[in-house]
Amino acid sequence: MKIKNKLLYISTPAKVFMTTLIILILLSIIQGISIGIEKTSIHLKKRSFQTKSEKKLTQEEKRIDRIRSSAKEFIPDGTIHLICRLEHLSDGIDLEQIYDANDNLLWEGPSDKRPYEYLSWAKHLRRYREGFTKSQMKDTQMITTDFSRNVRIPVQSDNKTEQIWRYLPGKQYFKGYNASGEKIGYVGSNGFTDLKSKVKPFGEFGLFTAWCPQDASSPTLLWQTQRRIYQINFEKQEVETIFKSTDADIEFERTSLHAWRDLKPGEKEYVDPNKYRPLIHYQTGDGKLHLILREPKQQFSLSVPRASVTATKQDIYARSVGSDSFPPEDIIKSQGLYNKWLKEHSGKPRNLWTELYKVDNQGNLELINRYDWIVPPTSSYVTNARDARPIVHRSVSQFSPPLYDLIMRLLGRKFLRSIFAYENRGDFFYGLAQMILEIRPYKGVINRVLSAFMMVFVFWHGWPRRTSWARFVFWLVFAGLFNIAGLLTYLALNHTAVIKCPVCSKRRGLAQLDCVRCKAQLPYPERGKLDLIFSV
Amino acid sequence: MSEIVLETEGLTKYYGSSLAVDHLDLKIPRGCICGFVGRNGAGKTTAIKLMLGLLRPTAGSSRLLGCDSSELTPAIRQRIGYVTEGHRLFRWMSIAGLEKFQRAFFPEQWDDKFFADMIEYFELPKKKKIKHLSNGQRAQVSLAVALAPNPELLIMDDPTLGLDAAIRRQFLEGMIGLIMREGRTVLFSSHILGDVERVSDRIVVIDKGVLRANCSLEQFQEAVKKAILTFADSAPDEVNIDGLLHCKRMEKHLALTLVGIDDEKIIEWAKSAGAENYDIVKMNLEDQFIEFTAPANQKRLFKWEER
Amino acid sequence: MRFSTLLYKELRECLPWMLLAAIVLLTLGSFFLREQIHYRNPSWYYSRLSPGTIVESHLFTYSSILGVTGPLLLLSSIGLGLVLGIRHFWIPNFTRTWPFLLHRSVRRKTILTAKLVATTIAFVLCLGPVWIGLYWYACRSTIFPPQTLKNFIEGWIFIILGLVTYLGTALSGLSSAKWYTTKIFGLVFAAVVIFMTFPQCSLFRISAVIAASAAILLSQIFQIFGRREF
Repeated sequence: MKIKNKLLYISTPAKVFMTTLIILILLSIIQGISIGIEKTSIHLKKRSFQTKSEKKLTQEEKRIDRIRSSAKEFIPDGTIHLICRLEHLSDGIDLEQIYDANDNLLWEGPSDKRPYEYLSWAKHLRRYREGFTKSQMKDTQMITTDFSRNVRIPVQSDNKTEQIWRYLPGKQYFKGYNASGEKIGYVGSNGFTDLKSKVKPFGEFGLFTAWCPQDASSPTLLWQTQRRIYQINFEKQEVETIFKSTDADIEFERTSLHAWRDLKPGEKEYVDPNKYRPLIHYQTGDGKLHLILREPKQQFSLSVPRASVTATKQDIYARSVGSDSFPPEDIIKSQGLYNKWLKEHSGKPRNLWTELYKVDNQGNLELINRYDWIVPPTSSYVTNARDARPIVHRSVSQFSPPLYDLIMRLLGRKFLRSIFAYENRGDFFYGLAQMILEIRPYKGVINRVLSAFMMVFVFWHGWPRRTSWARFVFWLVFAGLFNIAGLLTYLALNHTAVIKCPVCSKRRGLAQLDCVRCKAQLPYPERGKLDLIFSV
Repeated sequence: MSEIVLETEGLTKYYGSSLAVDHLDLKIPRGCICGFVGRNGAGKTTAIKLMLGLLRPTAGSSRLLGCDSSELTPAIRQRIGYVTEGHRLFRWMSIAGLEKFQRAFFPEQWDDKFFADMIEYFELPKKKKIKHLSNGQRAQVSLAVALAPNPELLIMDDPTLGLDAAIRRQFLEGMIGLIMREGRTVLFSSHILGDVERVSDRIVVIDKGVLRANCSLEQFQEAVKKAILTFADSAPDEVNIDGLLHCKRMEKHLALTLVGIDDEKIIEWAKSAGAENYDIVKMNLEDQFIEFTAPANQKRLFKWEER
Repeated sequence: MRFSTLLYKELRECLPWMLLAAIVLLTLGSFFLREQIHYRNPSWYYSRLSPGTIVESHLFTYSSILGVTGPLLLLSSIGLGLVLGIRHFWIPNFTRTWPFLLHRSVRRKTILTAKLVATTIAFVLCLGPVWIGLYWYACRSTIFPPQTLKNFIEGWIFIILGLVTYLGTALSGLSSAKWYTTKIFGLVFAAVVIFMTFPQCSLFRISAVIAASAAILLSQIFQIFGRREF
């Protein structure tokens, strides 16, 4: 095979790929703009509807709405109160009303003057400022000027930085430098060490949070990996393994801390250390909730996933919130059952509840109190869960390639769910998958009809121009799979000139020597009788 | 029979759906100076570019020095000189720089003395940049760099375009200098028929992409004739003479353009048609070309010509 | 000798733009770097750590030299790529010097290779030393610990993106399509590649994206140049 023929086998697919990619991008931009405009107009319509509808609520409706929007808080004895915020007064202070479970008004006033003390619950560390997550660590690896960064922990004394410990994401440990830029050591799962050969990696990074203890101006880190949690004290140069999970990965976005950090009073997350015990709780992939406590040290697991936990000096409490608005796991797995469930629950009010448990030292739960309330239906469920999108969104998606549906089907449900997982946020390929999911046609009839029409057009256009059957069939299939993008790509790469065949008067392309219909070659022009053509 | 250095067979080119060159069959022998003429848009430049492999034919083929034009090897290109239409050269280069650039591609053939002589003859300063030269000077440089490698085949696309008479004369003299060398072949297209008449021994006429004439200059000049016949009353309605290309009627006069017919036959017909007087007009090549390529019912540009 | 002559000719055409890009990058780059070095002194930056407080995690991320000089380096690189692409492949369309160049006694592939090699040399010789100089200056400065090798490589990636821009411009210049159809697709593809490179979070992925894109562009450029009509 000649070299230039080999090049053709690379350059032709490259050309098709490049052209298709650009046209798909342009198409998705147009689709995105249309969808965005529709979403904005729906949002504006909703707001004006809500504003109008507020004036028409009955007393009962107002009551139900009040209950729905109230914060449900428990007192340590198990009593539940409903706290309804009326208006915002100043920084962190609201005007509120407190009701009991029977809807009796107990108190009204500013929130900093509450006469009741409620249980304070451990909070998630997902917030950007507090928790540095896996996706942020990934972001530091990007090469944009904002994101290309290093994670560095300073060790200070007298307000002067003495050491810098830089995290190496590839190696999964820290490397330390002194003020002159010289290497001073390493920090890994086995602690601080001078030698590179001795340091052990922490493991795949999940999340970290940091604080300065009351007696230090250098940070302590809570460092979470896939299966372990470490506490790294840079001032004292200590690494402590707090937790090891043997069976399942830690779901880092559900990490919660309470009274664990040695903070001074007045700090935002300050919790009275005289009333609460230091607590961390984690959830693992097997659905278990793991508690790690201090004063005294304790560690055990609960089988109440997605619960909030707190530990006073006396007792340990867990709170869970439930609802019947989500179908059970076994129903979600089947599309048919899911659609049936949606139909049955369409337009019906939803039941919600909150429960308070006491937890003993073995992790057993004792139900102390439960509060139920009803939420009226806000809108009817869409009967077809497959395509619940608004009309413009559905319409513009019909121009998307049917190939998107095929890709999503091949990738499977597990991948589809992982697209929106927190840990995959910011990843390029998951972002791309999200975009495809947003504009896929969902096997719409119009989409199929459009694809067929594209194929017909390609057939009509390509028939007089065909140079080989393989190419012709390829472009037919291509137009069918890629819909309008396929047609535009075909036209961009194949719009060669046609003329009328002088023999059969039908259209013929110029890329081939013979007419595709009558096989005649381009004829010689008629020689004039008076032409002066003499051979040499 | 002389060796054929340039040969085309059924050479056809479409631009989109417009036909530019239609089944051109041409054979140019070695040692020939061939004038390639045609009206504007006839397809001369297209044909030349097809021959040099700068365009791909829709159908047909072309061979230069025995090599297919679409696959001209570097060794073959070394033997061909090409003067481009408009003498397009690298404007940022000086003449000396251009000489150095061109010489690198003809290491064995380059004639330093010839180039220096040509530059001196044209009075061109070597350090001057191409962009600072006039059209005429650029044409001279273009010819010098094309001739200095001593090419076997020289192809020039309208080389005297935009040049004044004096520069044209110099240009042609330079060309003649090459022609004097044995075995050199020249193909040049031109709108200046006087130049073609001066140097060519063969003429190729192309009209709307179709070959109309491919013969020696003498044959062409012998074949295309014009006869003015005067009649006592009005000129006859029907003119049935062999070789009639055009016929213009002006009351008592007939102006006939004829191809490939002897003078005696013209006179014989004139007498038989009752012409009072007849005159076979001597035309130069330009007039012959215009008559030969004029369409049958050519409209006049200016109405006063009809009076 | 023919290749070197062509190479010299292409380099000579690049020369003014190379010098301009190098001067701009050096002048502005060192100015920005000097300003930012003082501003980003770690002592100031970390003074917000105080006992008994939660530390906002984003404080622990520290911008590399790329954060300071990155936009300038990228713009210089892309600008140089655009200009050289136009110089090599668009301007000959207007000056109609292609027939003269293509009638040299070399293959078309050789002419094209000379252009590509000349541009690569232009990037390496003009932007490369400036980037090395800026990096060395940042390493010597009071920012500590030293800049990482990864940051150094990222700068080179920005330079390579300029080459990708050049290839995209070349492809657009060689395309004989109308500008409102597919002529600018080469440029658009180069822009897409640049945007696709940034969110990749490993050097391997970045390299893969750039290598694949370069292969796509180069194969088309060689194919078109070999068959294009001039």
